[in-house]
Amino acid sequence: MTPEYRTALIELLYQLADDNFILAYRGSEWLGLTPHIEEDVAFSSINQNAMGHAAIYYQMLEDLGEGKSDDLALLRPPAAFRNAVLLELKNGPGNYWDAPDYDWAFAVVRHFFFDVFKSIRLNALKKSSYPPLAAAAGKIVTEQAYHLMHWETWFVQLMMSTDEARRRMEKALSLCWADAGGLLSLGKWGAVMAEHGLTATEAEWRDQWRQAIGQSFARVGYVPIGEPGMAHGDGRNGEHTADLGEALSILSEVYRSDPQATGW
Amino acid sequence: MAAAVPFEQWTAEEKYGHFMRRIENGEKIEADDWMPDDYRKALIRLITMHGISEIMGAFPEKEWVPKAPTLRRKLAIMAKVQDEMGHGQLLLRVAEDLVKPCGKTREDILQDLFAKRLKFHNVFHMPSPTWADAAVIAWLVDGAAILSQTMMLKTSYGPYGRALKRICQEESFHAKHGESLTLSLAEGTPAQRRMLQEAIDRWWEPLLMFFGPKTKEATGHTNVDKNLKYKLRTKTNEELRQEFLSKYVPKIRLLGLAIPDPTLRYDDEKGEWIYREPDWNKFKQIVTGNGPKTDERLRLRRTSYENGRWVREALAQWKAAAV
Amino acid sequence: MTDSVHRFYEEYEVFSRKKGDLPLEHRFSLLAPNMEMAMILAKENFFRREPVADLWIVKRSDIRKMTQSEREAFGRLEKPYRETRGYGDLNERWRAFKARAGESGDAGP
Repeated sequence: MTPEYRTALIELLYQLADDNFILAYRGSEWLGLTPHIEEDVAFSSINQNAMGHAAIYYQMLEDLGEGKSDDLALLRPPAAFRNAVLLELKNGPGNYWDAPDYDWAFAVVRHFFFDVFKSIRLNALKKSSYPPLAAAAGKIVTEQAYHLMHWETWFVQLMMSTDEARRRMEKALSLCWADAGGLLSLGKWGAVMAEHGLTATEAEWRDQWRQAIGQSFARVGYVPIGEPGMAHGDGRNGEHTADLGEALSILSEVYRSDPQATGW
Repeated sequence: MAAAVPFEQWTAEEKYGHFMRRIENGEKIEADDWMPDDYRKALIRLITMHGISEIMGAFPEKEWVPKAPTLRRKLAIMAKVQDEMGHGQLLLRVAEDLVKPCGKTREDILQDLFAKRLKFHNVFHMPSPTWADAAVIAWLVDGAAILSQTMMLKTSYGPYGRALKRICQEESFHAKHGESLTLSLAEGTPAQRRMLQEAIDRWWEPLLMFFGPKTKEATGHTNVDKNLKYKLRTKTNEELRQEFLSKYVPKIRLLGLAIPDPTLRYDDEKGEWIYREPDWNKFKQIVTGNGPKTDERLRLRRTSYENGRWVREALAQWKAAAV
Repeated sequence: MTDSVHRFYEEYEVFSRKKGDLPLEHRFSLLAPNMEMAMILAKENFFRREPVADLWIVKRSDIRKMTQSEREAFGRLEKPYRETRGYGDLNERWRAFKARAGESGDAGP
């Protein structure tokens, strides 16, 4: 493994781990607060899957000598995180224990965008030049069929129902579209990753994602304005919002509370 | 009974006699079977309270879901709280089928909850200020719940028994999860052990209260007798509390933790635990909707339910359009 | 309360097959606004741990169940002629044939 390959690999693994970790956290904040009890249960499975995927990627980083996986998830400063900014944004005003004014339309569109992208990325990673990653992607992708079916159902039904739902969904769509470009970015190491066969190129999965999302948009008669953007910056290069810092302080509150502790 | 007379033409006494014979023969009653009003009322009361307790019980632990210390703990507590919501789903479905003949739906049950017309278990009105509370809830509150749910597995009401069977299977994972969290803190630093001890101190009285008062005199009424008559349950509150003490007091002491009741001891002659009675007036206050966290948690549930109204209205429309 | 709230809460019965060679079994019921939604909800509400090879969703109002009157009224007399236990004499009759064959030394291997 050349130093350049190794750096690109580690950057990529942080993108994979942090995407899943942060969105699983945002999803877990919804537990007990969704519009329907049956949905609380279903949504939680998707979040557990994503948190489990994050743990697999952090373990791969640990195996590469980056440090303990719990430390990687919980003790890095926000600027070291490589997740797309779209995934770190708050679910809405308030917080999960006090007056959460969460937006279900935003949750549906964000998760739908992410899971479509995640499936494309995993299928590309099955051919990764790093064998442990290719093997992990082959396993993880099996959980995607359910995620896609779940979010596609929610997306289509809410888009095709009442005027109010359509208005809320279109608002969420423009919010997510403005930062969807950050999902598709591979960051400044992207060219090296593709060159070494670690992933597909950024252009390839951007096309695939646009095509898949375009098909769903066509089903519901929606036309987006312009290209997916990076309104809040490129998380792959360590650019983040204050929402990430706040999330990380909640996520690591207990873990940091007793520096002497060796087990939890 | 003349076979030629269809069931719906039997007299009320004949139906009641037939119903009681079925109960005594250990047969299971189903949702659309004839049942006496007080049997239906007892079921609605018991199962609605159980279901709502699961839903409201998700909140004190849910506070710790995003904060759980490690990746493994985050995954496990997500799964655990998800199961609690799932148990709420199963039990509410059973309750909803029982209130349906009265023209009521889940909407009415939730509105009753928001208006404090429904009770839920005392323990879920209590604060859970530290990670150790999540451990004690999973170990001891779930431990207490397993005892009372297992006791009702043979209930005469078929749908409730089937829901409980599923619930008890999942609770065995919860018990292990709770034990694991507790052991990690007990094995840990002085600060971790102190946090655990403080959580035990906070939860001891609510845990004793969980099983309900010993006698009718303590609260003025109890539904236990009726539940026994209709074979909805097989043990009294005090029998369950004694089982709980036998199962957990030795374990708590083995961990070197103190139980905040200097009078607690096992009386060999009587063959039972002697303990300090919890404050039953406080219990009554709590379960009638005046616990320390009652309003905050009800507000959380009501706000989220109201926020989701546009979603439920939209999907009801979607179906209408699709048909 | 609006009518649409009731329409959101439709009852669906959930049936599943654990493995290919097992019969379909009733699992439980859930509330959902339509069939597609009922399907995605059923999957994780009832099969978070156990395997599921197939899943059926049926709207409860489409099911014709027996009434209690029918359940109480339908009796049945014993019908030994359509069950194996109605044929308990066969062994004895075979034995008689074997005994006869033994006498004539023509029993075969």
